[in-house]
Amino acid sequence: MNLILPKIDLPDLLQSWRKKFTVFLPQKLERFSHFMPLDDANAEILEQPHNTRIPPKALFLPMTEALVKFTRFGTYDDAELEVSPRIVFGMRPCDAQAVQLLDTVFEQEQYTDPFWVKRQEKTIRIGLGCHVPCANGFCTTVGYGPFSKDGLDILLTDLGDSFLVEVLSESGKTLFENLHEASEELKNQAKEIQHKAHDAMPIAFETENLKEKIEQNFKSDYWDEVSRSCLGCGVCTFLCPTCFCFDIVDEVQRQERVRNWDSCMFRIYSLEASGHNPRPSRIERTRQRLSHKYAYWLDQIGLIGCTGCGRCVSYCPVGLDIRAMLRQAQSLPFEVSHAE
Amino acid sequence: MPDINALKLEAKRILREGIVDVVVGFKPGDSPLHPQPAFFRNEDEVEELIHNGLCKNNLANYLTRLPKQEKVGILVRGCENRSVNSLIVESQKERDDLYLIGIPCEGIIDWRRIVEQAGEHISMVEDNESEVTVHAPTGVNSYNRFDLLHESCQRCLHRNPVSADTLIGDPVANGSLELATQKVKNFESQDIEARYAFFQKEAERCIRCYACREACPSCYCTECFVDHNTPRWTESGATPAGMQGWHIVRAFHQSGRCTSCGACERACPMDIKMTYLTEKLNHDMREKYNFECGMDAETKPPFQTVTLDDKNRFFVGGGK
Amino acid sequence: MTAKAKIALFQCRWCLFSPADQEWVDTQLPENIHLTKTPCTGKINPLYLLNAIQGGADGIMISGCLPEQCHFKTGNLAARRQLEEFNDFLHYIGYEKERVHFLWLDLQDRGIIQKELAAFEAELEAMGSTQHLATRVMRAEGGENA
Repeated sequence: MNLILPKIDLPDLLQSWRKKFTVFLPQKLERFSHFMPLDDANAEILEQPHNTRIPPKALFLPMTEALVKFTRFGTYDDAELEVSPRIVFGMRPCDAQAVQLLDTVFEQEQYTDPFWVKRQEKTIRIGLGCHVPCANGFCTTVGYGPFSKDGLDILLTDLGDSFLVEVLSESGKTLFENLHEASEELKNQAKEIQHKAHDAMPIAFETENLKEKIEQNFKSDYWDEVSRSCLGCGVCTFLCPTCFCFDIVDEVQRQERVRNWDSCMFRIYSLEASGHNPRPSRIERTRQRLSHKYAYWLDQIGLIGCTGCGRCVSYCPVGLDIRAMLRQAQSLPFEVSHAE
Repeated sequence: MPDINALKLEAKRILREGIVDVVVGFKPGDSPLHPQPAFFRNEDEVEELIHNGLCKNNLANYLTRLPKQEKVGILVRGCENRSVNSLIVESQKERDDLYLIGIPCEGIIDWRRIVEQAGEHISMVEDNESEVTVHAPTGVNSYNRFDLLHESCQRCLHRNPVSADTLIGDPVANGSLELATQKVKNFESQDIEARYAFFQKEAERCIRCYACREACPSCYCTECFVDHNTPRWTESGATPAGMQGWHIVRAFHQSGRCTSCGACERACPMDIKMTYLTEKLNHDMREKYNFECGMDAETKPPFQTVTLDDKNRFFVGGGK
Repeated sequence: MTAKAKIALFQCRWCLFSPADQEWVDTQLPENIHLTKTPCTGKINPLYLLNAIQGGADGIMISGCLPEQCHFKTGNLAARRQLEEFNDFLHYIGYEKERVHFLWLDLQDRGIIQKELAAFEAELEAMGSTQHLATRVMRAEGGENA
């Protein structure tokens, strides 16, 4: 179903959704954009040219959330989570793709995360395709694209004065009731925009055999080389839409067991109680981060665990660039395995 | 701007003559906005060396990360030189193991300001004395260099290296104390509600990635107080108490040790203002103890030196 | 303020020279005063103060010895430098300076700490409780960093 939504009607439409939903959309916070709930006052729709600084994974996996509340007397209760129905408006396809990838982590057959599932069920995801290519993104390189539909209920394409609304799921249908079907001409125009955007994204590196190269060069000096200027902060992982590591901590004074974001780039991430650290330096930690995204995800679900949003490239304090690292990895020696 | 050829020659010379094992400098990154810190171990590698206004890291940071026994040559601007001195005072490195190539600094350009002005797609940045020319698909534009500078560089006090072994380029005019302390004084003149509101707004945007800590040359503890769990000093999550606690104590641990380089603020992915905290501590150290961090490699910071002369001022700040 | 002001008292174990005063502090402190005895004021880390504030204390009293009377010679001098600066710093970011009170006691002093604590409590009660500096509570869902 392809509908047409004039941009001029959008503010009213967003407000009308607010009767039933909490509407999250990117709004200006200091010098960047951030997903915040819409209220009466800030109905201004931000025409953000690129991604929000913090990926929308934070709407499904908050930085800090309580899992269990306990008392000093040994009793405990599961933390109750009330999620009102919500709409996330203006998710970029790379971020939506990432949330879908994370579903495979939090919604496994044996292990489902009730908090994640509850937030997922109550959320309608409206994506906004990127008709302007971003400088540091590389979505087409890793097999996705500026107009990928994975993980979205609705995809919007900017046509200048209006949006082309592609309804991709049942839950998305109810939101746009009074809209007209788009004309063939507009549909074609949208297709052209989508193709153009796709072609405008350069291929940043080759992904062929990358997994084998990374796995077979586990002990290579390459890792030392690429991690030498790494500071060991958590910017790349915390801003990454597919990083999901968390740390469970007892906040004793508050009598809560909470789950916080954690990062494999931290020293204490792999530190064991004995004092032994299997990943003692930044070399091993960098190797873990890259291998997880470009090898281990492939083993587990057959997809690269990076959607090419480019946040880690833009905000690395020392200018480390994952694209350059992987280009360099392509020159590593490897043997084709014939097992498969 | 330093003469890049002179820099390369000097770096090559100290490597060739065996004065140092490694030279710490910058090399070009993938984007012209993000040069990377780099480690040059032979003369050929030095060809890659660059140094311009977009080199945003404090290289002294790597002194505590390189193997202890190595002799290190390092490119230092005013703030980096003072950080090096501070590390020597704190016995993290011997002065004899260091060779400082000094570069008078005219300030570090805030790449975010360039992106705000000219968009993300930058192909080249020309850094001249008073102007920065940015090449973007939308056109070639020049901007006033001072306006693009990072805030802490705009009010920088010590721009020239203070104890470099050689100086490449002519010394530049140092900043004024009045300008350097302006920010703290303005902040102090606000009422308590406004001050807290600002602190809260900034601190509670934190995502606890600790980029500020890792970017700081003075933050070299193996185990930071937030990583400590017996006892737990502050909440480790992104809760108001945790975030405020982190910002208060991170800054306070820098009292008398901060060189106002602003690396913490430049590293922050959430654009959190932090230097107003450390500037206050620096200001107090200056006023109360006449101490300026890193001006030489001997003077210990005030919290490490106590004398009985203190008793004259003992009751300042409460008590009978 | 309906309940009594909560005070965190950090006491150097040498500063109360008279056994009667120390006995009073050890056994007869009112419930709203939480005592932490330290070997010297020099042991008091600014983190202790922060922890007390974040744990919900309305005010902090630090009692120590006068200069030249420190059991460890210079512990109190080091403490004063750090803690005074820490208090200034907290004030700078919006915490009332009056909520941290230093009490430097002479060896000759008798019965001072009781009076000082009562006065400090009255002062804190007049000021009311503060919202400045967060205590350990969770942020609501959908907030800025949700």
